[in-house]
Amino acid sequence: MESSSTKHIPQSIESLRLRKLQLVGILCGFSAGAWLGAAEAPTKLVKLGVSPLVVSLLMVVGVFLARWSLPALIRGTGQMRADIRQAPHLIVWGILAGCLWAVANTLTIFAIRDIGLSIAFPLWNINSLLGIFWGYLLFNELRDAGKLRWLTVLGGALLMFLGATLLAVASSTQSPAEHPLRGILAALGAGCLWGTMYVPYRKAYLTGMNPLSFIAFFTIGELGMMLSLALLYGGGPAALSHQLDLARPVLFWLMLGGFVWVIGDLFQQYAAKYIGISRGIPLSNTNQLWGLLWGILVFGELRGLRTSLYAEVIGGSLLMAAGAGAIALSSITGKEHARWKQAADRESQRYRLDADYVQAALSGNEANDPSGLPAAKSRRTWLDYVLVIAVTTIFITLAVLARAPNMALDWPALAALAAAMLVFLLASGLALWKTTRFN
Amino acid sequence: MLDENPAQKPGGVWRMILTDVHFWVPAIILLAGLAVLHWIR
Repeated sequence: MESSSTKHIPQSIESLRLRKLQLVGILCGFSAGAWLGAAEAPTKLVKLGVSPLVVSLLMVVGVFLARWSLPALIRGTGQMRADIRQAPHLIVWGILAGCLWAVANTLTIFAIRDIGLSIAFPLWNINSLLGIFWGYLLFNELRDAGKLRWLTVLGGALLMFLGATLLAVASSTQSPAEHPLRGILAALGAGCLWGTMYVPYRKAYLTGMNPLSFIAFFTIGELGMMLSLALLYGGGPAALSHQLDLARPVLFWLMLGGFVWVIGDLFQQYAAKYIGISRGIPLSNTNQLWGLLWGILVFGELRGLRTSLYAEVIGGSLLMAAGAGAIALSSITGKEHARWKQAADRESQRYRLDADYVQAALSGNEANDPSGLPAAKSRRTWLDYVLVIAVTTIFITLAVLARAPNMALDWPALAALAAAMLVFLLASGLALWKTTRFN
Repeated sequence: MLDENPAQKPGGVWRMILTDVHFWVPAIILLAGLAVLHWIR
């Protein structure tokens, strides 16, 4: 896609800064895996006969609330307005990405129904291979990266794919498949949609938008599309209203799942920004490993099954860990980063963006305002406090109304996994703050 | 500079997006995904 010669590519940012940003991106990728994997845990507490579409819709409502309150808490909505002024076209890209996510998520529900999790999961995990493809084709990722880095990224992604397959086979005890063709199409469709969803992500971050702003627009497309699908395929407003009424005692758990998912996705966005989609997506895909840990250790899944099954779980986990390790070690060279900058320059020319704004975003710094003065420090307004207080009140109210799950949980394991998530949250949050001030 | 930027005008933004080949990749995949969903549901 890029025609210009690579002979005179300038070093885009100093190598020490590049190395720091890369380490932050890798840390965010692993944190994304831990938090995205844990997001499924609250939904395991839901045993009512609620339609999967409604489960998905309610999680998205939790996502919506989190996605508007977290940015308000971290940076203030004023920063979001500044981002829109600089790059208004990215609102459309954010909404498009949200629509892609909602359709993919709905497809996975039908895929699991038709072919079972064991076949469906590895099929939609092709998203990381597709992400590498789009990253290379559209955004110059892995260009001038050298054979060794190509080998580690592609090899790592393939190892993770194999590991995911083993884990999915081991974690599924259900027998497939009434409609294999439909199920396979649904799973492949979900993989294609999720793999392509990273095109808008990368587009946004190459052109300077802050991940905290981007996810706010993403969620408008996500909630709008999910609500339309639930109304269309759930039997209309009356049927949807009845299902929502049925789900009232479990609203808290579903929306909590959505909230946890947002934190994971936020880290995924920063990973996509600082190490690109070709490396960021595979690292985020370690979420399957974490989901399995929650299932086995906290919810007692797979207990009392045959030894070969445990061998599959351990083998699959080791393969995934090795793949993720290989990708994490595939550093981004100055030459490759300069090719990223070429893609960013192309974007800023197309959309007539301020070059300083784009360059600052690429190197994780605060951009100057259009007058050339340093940007004002983030200031929260009354609107930000209202948003945070309103969302907190909603969650507290739902928690009070929630029915405690009647399930045997392994509390020490739950505490250990929650502590691990907090360690990732603190480590990544501090690294992001110190290195980029959440830019 | 920002006042002269066509990206600040609604019509200008849409023209830039619709003439960007990158936009059509996810847009077409989204439409295909909706078609698959409609068929399999």
